[in-house]
Amino acid sequence: MGRAAVAIGCFAAKSTELGLHSSRFSGMAASASDLPVNDSLRADQSYVGQVIGVDDATPLEFWVAVAENRTLQLDDVVALDRRLPDGQVVKIFGVVSQVRARHEGASFQSDVFLISEGVLPGQISEAALIQPTRFEPEVLLPPLPGTPVRLAEDIEREIALSFDTVERRLPAGMSRSREPVFLDLDFIDGTKGAHINISGISGVATKTSYATFLLYSMFHSGALGADAANTKALIFNVKGEDLLFLDHENSSLDDDARAGYQSLGLTAGPFRDVGILAPPRKGDPSATPATGSRSVGVAPFFWTIADFCQQQLMPFLFADAEDERQQYTIVVQSVTAQLAQLPTTDEGAVKLGDSLVRTFGQLVDAIEEKLVPADPDEAADQRWTGRAVGTGTINAFIRRLFKARPHMEHLIRADIADARKHALDLDSHQVTVVDIHSLHDRAKRFVVGVVLRQAFKAKEDSGVAKPLQFVVLDELNKYAPRDSSSPIKEILLDVAERGRSLGIVLIGAQQTASEVERRVVANSAIRVVGRLDPAEARRDEYGFLPAVARQRATILKPGSMYMAQPRLPVPLLVEFPFPSWATRPAEAKRSTAGKAKVAGNGAANGGHDGELADDPFAGLAP
Amino acid sequence: MEFVVDAWDPGYGSSTSDAGLSDSSRPVDASCEVPEAEWKVVNPDSGVAEPEAVTFVDGVRRIDARLWLKQSNDNDDNSRTQNEPNQFHELGICASVAAGSVRCTSTEAKIETVLVERGLHTAAKSADSIKLFPELGDIGTYELRQLDRHDEADSSPNELGQDEVIYLSVHNHMSELEHKLAKQLTEPGLVIFDGPLGRRDAPNGAGYIKTQHVQYLSPRLQPVVASLSPGQRTPIFQIGGAWSNWSWYMKLPSNGSQADHPMAGVVRIELPGLGDASCAAERADIITRVLPRFASESYKDSRAPQNLYPIGGLERELRHRLGDGRLIDRALRRSAA
Repeated sequence: MGRAAVAIGCFAAKSTELGLHSSRFSGMAASASDLPVNDSLRADQSYVGQVIGVDDATPLEFWVAVAENRTLQLDDVVALDRRLPDGQVVKIFGVVSQVRARHEGASFQSDVFLISEGVLPGQISEAALIQPTRFEPEVLLPPLPGTPVRLAEDIEREIALSFDTVERRLPAGMSRSREPVFLDLDFIDGTKGAHINISGISGVATKTSYATFLLYSMFHSGALGADAANTKALIFNVKGEDLLFLDHENSSLDDDARAGYQSLGLTAGPFRDVGILAPPRKGDPSATPATGSRSVGVAPFFWTIADFCQQQLMPFLFADAEDERQQYTIVVQSVTAQLAQLPTTDEGAVKLGDSLVRTFGQLVDAIEEKLVPADPDEAADQRWTGRAVGTGTINAFIRRLFKARPHMEHLIRADIADARKHALDLDSHQVTVVDIHSLHDRAKRFVVGVVLRQAFKAKEDSGVAKPLQFVVLDELNKYAPRDSSSPIKEILLDVAERGRSLGIVLIGAQQTASEVERRVVANSAIRVVGRLDPAEARRDEYGFLPAVARQRATILKPGSMYMAQPRLPVPLLVEFPFPSWATRPAEAKRSTAGKAKVAGNGAANGGHDGELADDPFAGLAP
Repeated sequence: MEFVVDAWDPGYGSSTSDAGLSDSSRPVDASCEVPEAEWKVVNPDSGVAEPEAVTFVDGVRRIDARLWLKQSNDNDDNSRTQNEPNQFHELGICASVAAGSVRCTSTEAKIETVLVERGLHTAAKSADSIKLFPELGDIGTYELRQLDRHDEADSSPNELGQDEVIYLSVHNHMSELEHKLAKQLTEPGLVIFDGPLGRRDAPNGAGYIKTQHVQYLSPRLQPVVASLSPGQRTPIFQIGGAWSNWSWYMKLPSNGSQADHPMAGVVRIELPGLGDASCAAERADIITRVLPRFASESYKDSRAPQNLYPIGGLERELRHRLGDGRLIDRALRRSAA
């Protein structure tokens, strides 16, 4: 029976000016009444169309012709029924992944002009490609052509997106029709899986914003239950100063965004318990934290010389990709072992021979002395150099050590009173932000590696997975690159592979997943993609995105992400509300500014409430 | 050697009959608008008001199958010899016909009504309608259209053969359907029927004849037709007989062809023989001005420009609505088994 009959009289015709009396015949007007089935369907508000018969319908993909005066847009959720021979009804649910419209009855491109001039008859036909998400019960049959399709609403939508089977729901954003989208917490907290991986171009993919949104949802949605209070998050601020104002309400938050939070069952607001740690200013003897726009509520962090030696942190200085293949790692190991044996003082200094080493500079000099004796005839101490190591190798080590010196001096020191109190404390706040954006790459790797090791070790020692420790780290490609190994990468791999059972959850992000160690990405149960570079989007790492979604990922706007979770065979497009915490000084509300408690010992830094410098990154925030 | 290539696809023949035009058997009066002596091309009055909408009506037919209906010969045995079996097969034709209308305004060409019917045309006495895929409900039935038994023995050479009678019946079925559809048209506006108007006398209707088989004009007037430029028409003439029609020739624009033969793009229009000549001439002006807009281009239609776009589009749609021929063939074969 094919297409529905076309109803007559859609446009009013004026009487003709043919100069003749218009003839009206008494014959009945043609109508669609020969298809009574379609009439009753049209009366149903949720009816949107019928399965097409000229394109193959499969259980993995099928096309639906959109009925007149109805629309289907990308990401709409639909449902339909198929009756089996035994009378059982299989409900098929799916998501619209592509929509198309075309002229039927036209064979040339230029026919469009003829059709719109009213010369050639042509019909506009719209169709939507559906990717099934669920069959209930699971009988994997294709939907039959002609089957009516309806919009899945309320409970049907929940079933379609498998939300009905999720016990602990984590609000993860909204669909484009502003319905909530949930993540299954079981796949985050280690019960069935762990870790979240986010990819996307910097600046427009809003990776960090989404990561912090998920954290906010985690802490404030009640999904974690009683554990929420003790769950901790460690965030590395690698770019700009976006994350230094998490504890400030966002003054530019509008009612629309507030409503967005509300629809997800969240209350818009800042993070409640935030500690902010920043490296000390270079050359400042009092170790004032080096943050640009925020001076209040920021504690400095650094390691004493004694920590550096005893905790064997030296290898983290040599985490460059090219370093690992060099000979001098033998020297690194020997020196590290020797440093660990040095006696320490209460101020955090170490004694090396007769001298007291209080600064990184002194340490470097002392090590050089040990490796390269002043008298050229004297042999170097093999306990320090390692056995049978040539001078070239030793020199290579010393060269790198000296290169590191200007970048590390302010981070490794024992020249400050109570230096030990500045040890990194990840437990005193719910959210600890470690600001490393101003550090040199070498120092960044050092800090990330050492802090991660500390967090990992603390979890390992505690022996229980709950409460969880979240770690947010952007630029994973720098810390866990695909093609080389380093001490930091080893730790990240440990987190990725053992973190699930230890209760340490990595929310990792990177511009390009193709450059990150496969095992780190593969171990993430939840994959999220923001705007992607077109060349990147074609790579295998994004195989979880169907072809159309990959194409679309290259034009996603800030605040929209594709989210793939194990429960659903189709990634969902989610939008998350504008951050309700400030992402730059201009957004920080003065009235609430400065409430943050200072991490560590709360070093005084002479700032005033609300003293916020102009934001140099204003243009970067979404 | 000078020559021009006919615009039509050779498969369709030419827009003027290959064997030359036969003279009209109906009386023609060519001096109703202007005296025959003053015949010349007419540029239609540009002041005439064009209709809001033009509706095109057309029909298509398709022979779906030839059937051999088994008949028993009980009563009529006197002409048969003893040796002949008491059974024989009679020819039947299953044909689908469709008629439709497309209404063209300045912004839209919309297929408004489509009627599809199927018929079993046969002279066999014991014949019955055939239902397609009866298990699927009412999706199509070849209704029996009984023809008179035609006896080969007393047929005169002028009479039609059995085959021709059947094919004529199919054609009549299509015409009937077009009539039926025409009666359903209630919207005002100009209605163009594809083909001669015949007895259709809807006052706002006009027949559109794209292939010229009959010569209505005397040799003296024919050069006027040949000298038509696109958009021009001849004076109207009246074709009489059992019923009368107003008629004229007009030329459609044929795009792209530099050298055309004189009859390229020429069509004949018929109006019902109502009213007086001046009224008919006014309508002739309107129609002559309206139609060029719908003329097709040669690369889009193999019978350009005479096969108008709306009619081409409508025919395509109608053929589509006839249903898949192979599927119907399968259904018929299954019913036969």
